[in-house]
Amino acid sequence: MEEASASKHGAVPPLLAEVEVSNLPGFDVTPSPSPRPQPNPKRPSRPGVPPLDRLPRRSEVVLPPLDSPFQPPGFRSVQPHSISLPASPSAFGVPIPVAGAGAGDSQDLQRQATSNVAREPHRSPAQDKGGNGVGFEQPDKVKFRSQPIPGGQPARAGNRVGRGGGRAMNRDKSYDSFKTFSGKLERQLTHLAGASEAPEEEDSDDAIRAHRTTSMPKVDRFFAALEGPELDKLKSSENLVLPSDKTWPFLLRFPVSAFGICLGVSSQAILWNTIATSAQTTFLHVSTKVNLVLWCVSVALMCAITAVYALKVVFYLEAVRREYYHPIRVNFFFAPWIACLFLAIGVPPSVATELPSWLWYALMAPVLILELKIYGQWMSGGQRRLSKVANPSNHLSVVGNFVGALLGASMGLKEGPVFFFSVGLAHYSVLFVTLYQRLPTNETLPKELHPVFFLFVAAPSVASMAWAKITGEFGYGSRVAYFIAMFLYASLAVRINFFRGFRFSLAWWAYTFPMTGAAIASIRYSTEVGNSFTKALCVALSVIAVLTVAALFGTTLVHAFVLRNLFPNDISIAITERKMTPILELHESGCGDDDHSSRSSNDVEAQQK
Amino acid sequence: MGLEASSSPSSLKPYAADDTCPMGTGGATKPEARFAILTRFHAGYFRISLALSGQALLWRTLSDSSTDPRPLARSLPSAAFLLLWSLALLALLALCALYAARCLLRFPAVRAEFRHHVAMNYLFAPWISWLLLLQSTPFLRPDAPLYHLLWWAFSLPILVLDVKIYGQWFTRGRKFLSMVANPASHITIIGNLVTARAAAKMGWHEAAVAIFSVGAAHYLVLFVTLYQRFLGSDSLPAMLRPVFFLFFAAPSMASLAWDAISSSFDTGCKMLFFLSLFLFASLVSRPTLFKRAMRRFSVAWWAYSFPLTVLALAAAEYAREVREAAANVLMLALAVLSVAVTLALMVFTALRTGDLLPHDDPFDCPLLAPPLVR
Repeated sequence: MEEASASKHGAVPPLLAEVEVSNLPGFDVTPSPSPRPQPNPKRPSRPGVPPLDRLPRRSEVVLPPLDSPFQPPGFRSVQPHSISLPASPSAFGVPIPVAGAGAGDSQDLQRQATSNVAREPHRSPAQDKGGNGVGFEQPDKVKFRSQPIPGGQPARAGNRVGRGGGRAMNRDKSYDSFKTFSGKLERQLTHLAGASEAPEEEDSDDAIRAHRTTSMPKVDRFFAALEGPELDKLKSSENLVLPSDKTWPFLLRFPVSAFGICLGVSSQAILWNTIATSAQTTFLHVSTKVNLVLWCVSVALMCAITAVYALKVVFYLEAVRREYYHPIRVNFFFAPWIACLFLAIGVPPSVATELPSWLWYALMAPVLILELKIYGQWMSGGQRRLSKVANPSNHLSVVGNFVGALLGASMGLKEGPVFFFSVGLAHYSVLFVTLYQRLPTNETLPKELHPVFFLFVAAPSVASMAWAKITGEFGYGSRVAYFIAMFLYASLAVRINFFRGFRFSLAWWAYTFPMTGAAIASIRYSTEVGNSFTKALCVALSVIAVLTVAALFGTTLVHAFVLRNLFPNDISIAITERKMTPILELHESGCGDDDHSSRSSNDVEAQQK
Repeated sequence: MGLEASSSPSSLKPYAADDTCPMGTGGATKPEARFAILTRFHAGYFRISLALSGQALLWRTLSDSSTDPRPLARSLPSAAFLLLWSLALLALLALCALYAARCLLRFPAVRAEFRHHVAMNYLFAPWISWLLLLQSTPFLRPDAPLYHLLWWAFSLPILVLDVKIYGQWFTRGRKFLSMVANPASHITIIGNLVTARAAAKMGWHEAAVAIFSVGAAHYLVLFVTLYQRFLGSDSLPAMLRPVFFLFFAAPSMASLAWDAISSSFDTGCKMLFFLSLFLFASLVSRPTLFKRAMRRFSVAWWAYSFPLTVLALAAAEYAREVREAAANVLMLALAVLSVAVTLALMVFTALRTGDLLPHDDPFDCPLLAPPLVR
């Protein structure tokens, strides 16, 4: 490092010329200014230029494949290696304007970032993932982050000391920004687990962390960067903050929409229970064991998924927060509670006949809190107002009310179910009208039909059953709701041709429960109005629901074991906070790998003081 | 109204700002400093009368519910109630007189108010206050002819205003609901519901149902529109955020009205009451929404009182129906809250009367006098 610095004084020292490439700690740290490699024909090297000008330089840096060994010094941009950019602006001879910008200036920080970038596994981490705070203490110097050297130590501007030989040394820091407390927790856990860690690392981390401020992409960013009915496809002009060519850690790839599986399976359990016990369908001779088996399977699934997601919350809190801010995924946060409610509704008589009242209160409390938050956002306007973010997945936030009312009424409670029913009804009507209007300000409604539209059927069918339980009879209110549900179902079913060409995702499981719900409501209706037509209808709907779930199950298995892409990289949560200006030279230089990771804004902040 | 306090009136200029005010009408320049302040009382000041009349009704209801098991409620001294009722009456009379003076002397400003998307709703407020006072009066019984007469006198303006304003919602270009909807529009709904409740108490069932249905239908439309927030938060200046409390005043009033119509607090009433409870919880858990408005005392603060009072009233009816301890506790808590808030507002008003009085008229016609911006 020092040698590199020493050799760098002067006008326009070549960027990488004398960079000492080695595994020495702190190597990339404070370099002396080496703005640009001479060989760059495209731009005159200008030390200390404002970051934007340095952008083009990235093209010169060829990033090494991850597993390439370190190259000896002296090579040029031919062999990529460390992309460490000088940290000290003064060496450039021109004070970098941003140097004093401090932590708050994210705009400049980003520009700095883009100039510094180039790294492969990019280091947005922790130190600032998304944060604007910089915490490094090299006063009035611009710190640049250098990329982690593959196989070497993650170079960190600052005090990188040789780390102990534990696996901590080789920990990939690219995902730190998504980890809880930026990876600190994980490090402490590994520390506790006995891996040796260099203490200095903690210090520098702390310093950085102390200044880190998290910032989330605003809701507009989600709309701008993503597309598709579930807002899960990245637009081609966008980039991610995480490397898109690597497979991310499993926990990062585990979306909250996985709880949809529980929804789908537990509603099936209720369906089979209803079929087995209802008078109209006894001719099918379905035994109650099916319900028992399905129920146990869904309990197991629920436990498994909850455990995995709990681990994600513990280790990747930032990722969970990003999911919460995603305008579609936020609705799936209701899914675990709805699934629990389904489990309680469908509990086989052999397991329990009476459920305690406190269970209902315990299950509905989180639903209430989430609702207060989300409906309040709708009401108070601002970024997340309904006219802007309304989408069919919002039904998940409304259906929870009706399911809770159904469970409460079947448990014999009186006021609580009515409370949730009324709240659900009021907000459902708002949502229904808004979705039907397809306001021009609404950006999330998919132009094409997608399985998510089946969620339209969920609320009225569950509401009809809930009202029937509350009032004790399948009266006019329930019938009106039931007929609305049937109409919506029919209106989607005849357009089945248009449901094509979509990539399978785990969230599809959540879209099966409306069909199951409609089947259950039909069975309930046919017990009231029992004629052959209603019988046929309820059998038909049940068959469709079961077949759909079976097909989905098969597809899931195929994706899980054959295609092995059941959990693809969850790109929707890794969008950049700000759209970065595309760097044209990048493509010309032929460095295919640069673009995605480099441009994230988030690593920038770390560097500025 | 926080309309004027520290924001420039420009953001509140009525939609029909291009209407020309008559040039230099003599009447406008006549009221000099002495009268100027009196005629600057815009319709938003009727929040005070709304609050006080609502309180009077609450006290009356609490002391009336003879089946109320809690002895505390029954022991509210009737002298205190009379005092409150008289205070409310006096306040209302004073405000009406001031507003009448304003109509006479500054008619263009009144017209401008009528065109403003927030202020036009407050034209209902005096009639609502009169009706509430009528319902809580200890001097008249609901079947007295004078009572009927007064009901007609106070309801007719409301009905006329209804036709005018609701008609505008879907027919008049600039005044489409999606453009003018704001939380203060709930006052129009509340006007209908109060009228319906009074009619039901008098025994006029059909009239009550008719007026209730008008209110309910428009409430549905307004509720959806406001939740959609098509315009975002632009529709209401930050100083007027206390008006958001009207979100839960409307369903509470609806539940009270339906309770009066159906003579029992049935499931529909309960659902409306629960909805208003939920909205109340939702607003109370977002204190940052009101932060800016709370920096400085203004007449907008009076907007906190009436909705809380109506909610407490609905809770009282609910507790009467459902004789459970939890319901009584809820009722008591809400009643105490409402009384406390009103008292606090009265104290604030007494201490900071200067802040309360209008310093400029946001509806002043620009040609008449330069807008007084603080």
